[in-house]
Amino acid sequence: MRKNKQVITSTGVAVREKPLGLRIWNNRGYYLMFLPVFIFVIIMNYWPMLGIRYAFYDYKPVGQPDWVGLEHFSKMFSTSAFWTAFKNTLELSIVRLLITTFASVIISVFLNEMGNLMAKKTLQTVIYLPHFMSWAVVASIFSLLLSPSSTGMVNGWLKDLGFIAQEQSGIYFLADSKWWRPIFYGINIWKETGWGTIIFLATLSGINPELYEAADIDGATRMQKIRYVTFPALSNTIITVLILNLAKVMNMFEPVFVLYNNAVYDVSDVISTYVYRQTFAIALPNYGYSTAVGLFKSLVGGALVLICNWASKKTRGRGIV
Amino acid sequence: MKPKKRIKTFDIVNYIIFIFIGLMVLVPIWKVLVDSLNAVGVYQFQLWPNRFTLDGYRTIINTKLLYQPFMNSVITTVFGTLLGLVLSTLSGYVLAQETMPGRNFFAFLLLFTMIFSGGMIPEYLVMKKLHLVNNVWILVFRHGVNVYNFVLMKNFFEGIPGSLYEAAKIDGCSPMGIFFKIVLPLSKAALASIGLMFAVAVWNDYSTVKIYIADPQQVNFQYKLRNMIMDGDTPLTEYNVSQTTLFNAGIIAAVLPFMVLYPFLQKYFVTGVNVGAVKE
Repeated sequence: MRKNKQVITSTGVAVREKPLGLRIWNNRGYYLMFLPVFIFVIIMNYWPMLGIRYAFYDYKPVGQPDWVGLEHFSKMFSTSAFWTAFKNTLELSIVRLLITTFASVIISVFLNEMGNLMAKKTLQTVIYLPHFMSWAVVASIFSLLLSPSSTGMVNGWLKDLGFIAQEQSGIYFLADSKWWRPIFYGINIWKETGWGTIIFLATLSGINPELYEAADIDGATRMQKIRYVTFPALSNTIITVLILNLAKVMNMFEPVFVLYNNAVYDVSDVISTYVYRQTFAIALPNYGYSTAVGLFKSLVGGALVLICNWASKKTRGRGIV
Repeated sequence: MKPKKRIKTFDIVNYIIFIFIGLMVLVPIWKVLVDSLNAVGVYQFQLWPNRFTLDGYRTIINTKLLYQPFMNSVITTVFGTLLGLVLSTLSGYVLAQETMPGRNFFAFLLLFTMIFSGGMIPEYLVMKKLHLVNNVWILVFRHGVNVYNFVLMKNFFEGIPGSLYEAAKIDGCSPMGIFFKIVLPLSKAALASIGLMFAVAVWNDYSTVKIYIADPQQVNFQYKLRNMIMDGDTPLTEYNVSQTTLFNAGIIAAVLPFMVLYPFLQKYFVTGVNVGAVKE
């Protein structure tokens, strides 16, 4: 009965669907146009997936690799550095997500209250700025500002204010386990909070002005309007932003990679940086082992994407992409 | 008169908070800019350099070890953006064809790569086979093939009314003809916005270079800069300039292209974000 399937054309007329072969032939131009994309995606994204088999082998650059089964995985689960990296990945990404989202929401709400359009636009331009600086640049800027040398601004100020004695050496913020995480979160807030406001400001500009007028008639104060009109309007967007970004928590790499160093591995090492070091920065890299850790990361990350996609469909009726 | 007074206080506090936030963002940037033009390194925050010099910038232009990475960054950004735009418009256009058999399969092919990937080592081994290790062109290919941007472009194209396609088809226009004569001219904002996303991604990349490239002739400027400042890999005795001046001039050179263009392109950046997250 397939042949009798009916389709509705754009003019609203129901016609019998053409046979598959003919439809494919009619679309040949589109297939041809998709071909370059297909080739690139297969080479860049799918070909590497074949390499996942190394996770179950003892990788050798030449000759046949030996099958070792799940040996790499049992080694991974009994390595404390791996668990440190796993916990750090979750903690650093989730705390970073929560604080930057929180800061973005607060800033958008108060930016939205700003009456002067010129001032508002100027501020938006200013706070979006750091987003376009690469992580390498941001790390460079802050390593100079926080440097314990005589040209480090923060240490210089601390000395001027008397928090550090003049003759004492400054605090080496980025190489101190106590300081690294607060600094990391602070730099993330500096770089991404402004950019994060875009989506909230878009939502706020869509709030029906009648809601504010009604609140005025009821005698609401400015803070009450923020509390009872503005914040509730943002709740869906906040959930959206959290879900979209939770799907990416396992991807944490570059922000840590540019800021960490061997003095602070215990508080900063994440799975991707751990894999990097196990592969490129040790004397005898075990490709099989690092592939296994990478595979673990991909699987957890993929599961998170699917969970968040499901959550997204539940809460707002569509998936995350 | 009480409520009116309260409104005033709110506004004043609001302005003060935002002046503070604005300064928090600008002070580090201004400090870098001033230090890049100052012949001596100081920790103080100054509004203007006390001993003005352009030696930092001169050193970047005149030292092969520094301008080679800069040119690498420029070239890979141009070609990476072009490749990205070609692939994203093609895939976006084809995937927006709702009646095409196999459309769901192609969409799945792209989406699956966002759920699962081979990981660092398998990717490294493939790039090695493709002779992209120790080759600056890896930046072009790794960023040009960005499935997320492909999907964004599809979302843009789906906003074009289907009746336009139908009308062109009835007039005997080929898929390629519709693409060039109708879709692309209607999508200038989308092209600008997604093109910028590709450009920023290539220009700002550090980790790809760190992982794949060891040859100092093939690195990009971000890599060179970060290594110079944080890992101290540059023999400073070769340059006739103070260390802080050179470092800060390097930072400014690394952010200059987008900082100059940014005020003019801000709306395109913002469109890209909103299409990705709010509207679809």
